[in-house]
Amino acid sequence: MSDKEDLDLHKNAKDLINQISIVVRTAQIHDANNVAISSSISRLVSMINMLLDKENLINLELRGEFFYINEYRIRYSLEYLLNFDFLVREFKKRELGSVIFKNQIKIDDVKIFTRAFISSPFSDEPFNAFENKISGIESIEIGRLRKIVDEEDSLDVRRMIKKTYFNAVSYTKGLMNKMKSGEKVNIKRAKRVMESMVDHILEEEQLLLGMTAIKDYDEYTYHHSVNVSILSIALGQRLGLSRKMLTELGMVALFHDTGKTEVPSEVLNKPTNFSDEEWKIIKKHPLWGVRAILKLKKLDEFTMKSAIVSFEHHMNIDHSGYPVIRQKMGLDLFSRIVSLADQYDAMTSSRVYSRTPMAPDKALSIMMERSGTQLDPLLFKFFINMVGVYPIGTLVMLDSKELGLITESNQIFPTRPRVLLIMDRQGNRLEGRIVDITEKDEQDNYIRSIQRTMDPNKYKINLAEYLL
Amino acid sequence: MEINEEIRAAKDVIQAILKAKKILRMYPSNNPIYIKTLEDANSKFREFFYYNDELQLKIKQNEIYCGSEQVYSSSEKEDNLALFFFKDGLRELTFRKGLTNDELEGFLTVITLDFDTEVIDDDIVTLFWEKDFQNIAYVVDEIILGDEEDYETPAIKNAKEETNEPNNLIKAYEDALNESDTIKESSIIPLTDQDLHALLEEFEKDTKEKLGKLVYILFEMMYLADTRQDFEDISVFLMNSIDYAVLHGDINIATDILLRLKDLLEDKNISEEIKKYIKKILLFAGSEKVVIHLGELLDSGQDIEEKTFVAFVNFLDKNAIIPLMKMLGELKSIHARKMVIDALTFLGPKDILLLASGLNDTRWYVVRNIIYILRKIADKRAVDFLLKTVKHGDIRVKKEVIRALGELGGPGVIVALRDSLDDPEVQVRIAALKALGNIGSEAAKRIILDRINDKKFKDKEFDEKKDYFEIISKWKDKEVFDFLVQILKQKTFFGSTKNDENRACAAYSLGLLGNKDALNILNKYKNDGSKLIKEFAFTAIRKLEHE
Repeated sequence: MSDKEDLDLHKNAKDLINQISIVVRTAQIHDANNVAISSSISRLVSMINMLLDKENLINLELRGEFFYINEYRIRYSLEYLLNFDFLVREFKKRELGSVIFKNQIKIDDVKIFTRAFISSPFSDEPFNAFENKISGIESIEIGRLRKIVDEEDSLDVRRMIKKTYFNAVSYTKGLMNKMKSGEKVNIKRAKRVMESMVDHILEEEQLLLGMTAIKDYDEYTYHHSVNVSILSIALGQRLGLSRKMLTELGMVALFHDTGKTEVPSEVLNKPTNFSDEEWKIIKKHPLWGVRAILKLKKLDEFTMKSAIVSFEHHMNIDHSGYPVIRQKMGLDLFSRIVSLADQYDAMTSSRVYSRTPMAPDKALSIMMERSGTQLDPLLFKFFINMVGVYPIGTLVMLDSKELGLITESNQIFPTRPRVLLIMDRQGNRLEGRIVDITEKDEQDNYIRSIQRTMDPNKYKINLAEYLL
Repeated sequence: MEINEEIRAAKDVIQAILKAKKILRMYPSNNPIYIKTLEDANSKFREFFYYNDELQLKIKQNEIYCGSEQVYSSSEKEDNLALFFFKDGLRELTFRKGLTNDELEGFLTVITLDFDTEVIDDDIVTLFWEKDFQNIAYVVDEIILGDEEDYETPAIKNAKEETNEPNNLIKAYEDALNESDTIKESSIIPLTDQDLHALLEEFEKDTKEKLGKLVYILFEMMYLADTRQDFEDISVFLMNSIDYAVLHGDINIATDILLRLKDLLEDKNISEEIKKYIKKILLFAGSEKVVIHLGELLDSGQDIEEKTFVAFVNFLDKNAIIPLMKMLGELKSIHARKMVIDALTFLGPKDILLLASGLNDTRWYVVRNIIYILRKIADKRAVDFLLKTVKHGDIRVKKEVIRALGELGGPGVIVALRDSLDDPEVQVRIAALKALGNIGSEAAKRIILDRINDKKFKDKEFDEKKDYFEIISKWKDKEVFDFLVQILKQKTFFGSTKNDENRACAAYSLGLLGNKDALNILNKYKNDGSKLIKEFAFTAIRKLEHE
């Protein structure tokens, strides 16, 4: 296949996924025989058959959060973002991992497929029900959603994520120390660190977000910068930013607090409240950040974007923050993203002047109050969708009388995340067993549900012991 | 495929990569050698993939392995393919069967870059990453990214040090049991199409260039600054912004910076200390560094609106004159040179002597351009410098300077022009003649009349003579009228053909003079025996009768 054909196939593949999504959305309202849906179906059929003219079969596969067609990963584009996201969720609901189209497809085949797709989630075993209902169609086959990694692989992935995270922190520590002492800083390495971060977030977002939930590290400033990068990239991914833009976003987030290297350590590490004079110094750090970044290397896209974010990350969208400026101007998109990540991580971290961190859900509720005035409401909406109703690290009591920590949010059923049990129903300590609270018993009732959330900090629960 | 064959094919691939690495950087992508090298590399991969689905290469510091077999080895520090990959952390490279031509070219383009001498902001891994290859995978050693060899182990140990007290957990458990409230079922805020639409608008707004925003921030920082160091730093950043703007064709932003700085200069609330910094930035805009970038921009073919350029130039000071003149000699496009000439025409009056120093340039075309600019500026202070150029070795320069002198006039000019009438080059003589006509003074007239009266005049080429008579007709006075009539009537026995040429030119000149009193005498010659006189008298009559 020529490269031009390759490109066309990619475009057609995106259109195909989008069209399937449209058909499914419409079919949720109308029956597959309804006029409203027939034009969507016939368009879908012609798209599939057109592709089948070039390829022997079309294998649409869901791996992680991405669709692949005939082994090619189909990249998200903003125009299709919602439809792609929707279809990912719908596939997962049915444990559907792949759909294979072969030979020529008929409209009636797609109608049967659509009806089966719509009705299957109501069954106890959605995938099996789906498979049964389309067993008469020769030209369409489906496959069950595969777990991407088995236990062994999962451990490897965790190890890799940890390595990436700590490499980033180590790099940041070196970076800040070098900036402080006026040494030359290697930006190429920062890029590499962020590329690795972006790749992991695209594949294993939850694991990396989990790393940001651990707040018991000694070196807050460096961990904070890395955490803000991770949270920003994860939010950027939700917004549909390209890989390159995500790297840029991660980089500017990593540098957002570089101005703090100029704040005298006796002020920065002061355990009590700041005096007015000390506040004045603290409020200079965005300006000092601009200065430090612009001295770092010659002016380019990176230094400009970083300097802007450094200057704006405490300004708030209503300009109620600092620095106070003369001519009001809208904040950059990156500044607003970093500002959200910065506030969330700072609130949920233990800092010198505030030893007890805030519980993640409490932080979110405070941010909710600030949304629309200090924080961008639209981005906050995406942010809350990203961290979930129960952010990683939240302490929860289940109705099964078991105590647990949230380790992974669930994008399909937000109120049913994965929970690491730390106390059993008798109040005995447990050694890390993770349960999926979407599990149901034979009577179709959930085995476990979250009854209440609690503040892990109140009980000095060290998340590192469980999550690292 | 047997193992030996597989290894041989892998070695062939490596050799093809090495060859491409050397050759591709030397030719543009449409060059036949470039295309052939790429094809050769592609065919080596195809040969390998004929029997194998992927080619996995393990990278060591000085060797490359395919499986357990070494397929490349070098102990050199330069031109060592293994080391080239290894130093950026690459430890494994895998090419898959679906490798497209575009991907291969993308891969080779990256490894062809000269990372040692070129200013490249990224390393190999970043450039591979940005290409997002579907059929080339790589494994990197990330340890090199951290600053400490093993940061992870002590950090984790430290974080886990504070173990969870069993009593605390029990307390948490008991509290949880005793709490009576249960959480309400809450859900994620659903995203809507409107949200997506709003997001698209956000992206659209945000794609605007960042330099303008940075400049806005720098000005805010200027108001917030309170130490000399702050102003020093901000002025450097603003200078860099001006340079960046010019380099990237954002002249409007550079102009905006200069405009805002000028406004600040006039602000009485701004201290003299700060104004010193502002003046420094304003001067920087005309520095050699910025002007070189300006020249590159103008020569790049990028569409720069004239009014945008003029607005920028309006803020420059005389320090831009020398670099602009230097630039004038280096620009390739006529359009770019014209823009620079316009800029110098604007800036020249700020220091005419500085501009005139460009007349000493060794390149004739630069000198000619400077003369042109001086002529446009029309400042009589330039005459002394121009007079020194009259004897320039290049005829094109001489013509231009004579023209300029003719327009500027002034002491010494008449003498220089008179001398130029004896120049060996006819074009220079004609230019001097025209310049004298342009001056239009009595002295100039006298010179021309004397030349025509000179014995040697009749020996000049006819066209040059005609030019003399044409120029003299600019003085529409009685002396010239009588002079022309006298020449027309003048008959000789010897050299009558040459004399007839003079007479014919006099007839022609009478026509140009516009005095109808000449008709009587011209009519006498309309049937002259000399064909030339007859023709010119006839033309002159027609001209006088119809005007």
